[in-house]
Amino acid sequence: MSSSPTTDGEQRLIFAMGGGGFTMEPDNPLLDDYVLSLAPPAQREPRILFLPTASGDTTAQINAFYARFSGRTCVPEHLSLFRLGDLARSLEETILSQEILYVGGGSMRNLLAIWRAHGLDRLLIEAWRRGVVLAGLSAGAMCWFQGGVTRSSGPPMAIAGLGLLEGSLTVHADGEPERLPVWLASVRAGTLPGGWAVDDGVGLLFAGQRLRRVVSSRPGASAQRVDAIAGELVRARVEPELLGAGERTGPAPLDEDIHELRRVQRLRRGIVGEERGIRDR
Amino acid sequence: MEKDSSLLDDYVLSLTGAARPRVCFLPTASGDADHYVVRFYRRFSADCVASHVSLFRRDQGVGGVEEDLATHLLAQDLIYVGGGNVVSMLGAWRAHGLDSTLHKAWRKGVVLCGPSAGSLCWFREALSAFHGAPRRIRGLGLLPYSNCVHYDIEPARREEYRRFVAGGMRPGFAAEDGVALHFHGTHLERVVSSRPDGRAYRVEPLAGGAVAETPLEVSYLGADSPRSATGPHAAAATSSDRQLRYSTSPAAPTSSNRPRGHSTNPAASPGVHGNAAAGPPEAVAAA
Repeated sequence: MSSSPTTDGEQRLIFAMGGGGFTMEPDNPLLDDYVLSLAPPAQREPRILFLPTASGDTTAQINAFYARFSGRTCVPEHLSLFRLGDLARSLEETILSQEILYVGGGSMRNLLAIWRAHGLDRLLIEAWRRGVVLAGLSAGAMCWFQGGVTRSSGPPMAIAGLGLLEGSLTVHADGEPERLPVWLASVRAGTLPGGWAVDDGVGLLFAGQRLRRVVSSRPGASAQRVDAIAGELVRARVEPELLGAGERTGPAPLDEDIHELRRVQRLRRGIVGEERGIRDR
Repeated sequence: MEKDSSLLDDYVLSLTGAARPRVCFLPTASGDADHYVVRFYRRFSADCVASHVSLFRRDQGVGGVEEDLATHLLAQDLIYVGGGNVVSMLGAWRAHGLDSTLHKAWRKGVVLCGPSAGSLCWFREALSAFHGAPRRIRGLGLLPYSNCVHYDIEPARREEYRRFVAGGMRPGFAAEDGVALHFHGTHLERVVSSRPDGRAYRVEPLAGGAVAETPLEVSYLGADSPRSATGPHAAAATSSDRQLRYSTSPAAPTSSNRPRGHSTNPAASPGVHGNAAAGPPEAVAAA
């Protein structure tokens, strides 16, 4: 793989959702359209790769991904680390050739362990350095931070992430209320650094280490910034911008040329059906 | 869990010596695929106390064991590891501490088995060919050999395994689909097959970069195979050149020092303290 120039910090985008997107909001495409809008404008059809690792690569998540993105102006593809026999290219090429990497929810502990077992953690960091947009929800959002709160073993507990972003993140702040107290206690105790608690439907966009925008697919959803200062928690509510309210963030509508182009690309890649056997190796 | 045969499953259940064995399924290598879990219960729940552990759904309470995984696993007669991706599986196991739990279970005498990834994982080294060029991977290392599965499916795999062994991978065992390697302790006790023509090999390096691929004696478990000739006694009948391969194991770490090559000791009944690494049945070869 030829080495592409790394981007400067401000061009490294991470979009972290507390919940939402195609796996949680099948009837609400606002967050996913926003994800597509983050691709470099020069890319008329951004390549978007879904990583369902945290779910164990469930067919349900993979199908929901294609249901959402195959009708949009992009080239959707998924990477299953349990069915690598399906992969036509190397892992490195698959990851680094994308404009957007979209990480699904599930077990954060399994997600990180399996990524590391395959060396994917290093590839994802390299992709971020090169300016590939990193997006995800739940485990797929917390993984980019220094830490989060996982229910991978049942009860919620603090867990370390990849650490691309400073601070910690807790997700589903409204939808799974049992996470928040564990996170707050961890921040107060110093086992997790301060950070953000994010409701379902809310996404944080980081440019480099800077929080650039906070958006939401649902009225009323919000986020909060929490820090421990001298042993006390200091909480500040963050008001998101509601997506779809007048502003057009989504991609341009499809035209026939793009339909045709996509059909050809799909044929060339030999896109296969959903039902794949367990390829035991 | 071969689709058309329960011979290997019956064999490994017989190793437990339990009337109604406690059997726990680990479908980690498939990403805890639902259809695989269902297949497990269909096959085992009639005759066994069946359970499964899902490492991906521990927050959802969907019927798998959730609380103390170690205690549950150590109380089993048989742990059945499903096929899939061995690298992903080992990563997830380590993240949940299952690597050390399985080690303990083995020492305690729990029978361990599995096809494909569920075979590779018990060995020190293995050939994993899930994607692109075959890779040399480290397993849990209970068995101080290397392992290669699906030996008959892809000629390239056989070539690669031989090349790896010639190039320094430790000597080991290769099995075709439907063939199981039964280890008692760290010694190969028996090779059994659900198919009349199933084969397995001992693969070891020779001087000068060559590789010896020695066919192992395989017991077909089908209708015509007399069950009475099974077990370590089969080994006693073999000629001396086979003793290396069929030597009766100095049982598991719990009862060592049985003489090699003699298997008159009834305590050597397979698997009571043993470890069965089953070669690849069907789950494996799904295309």
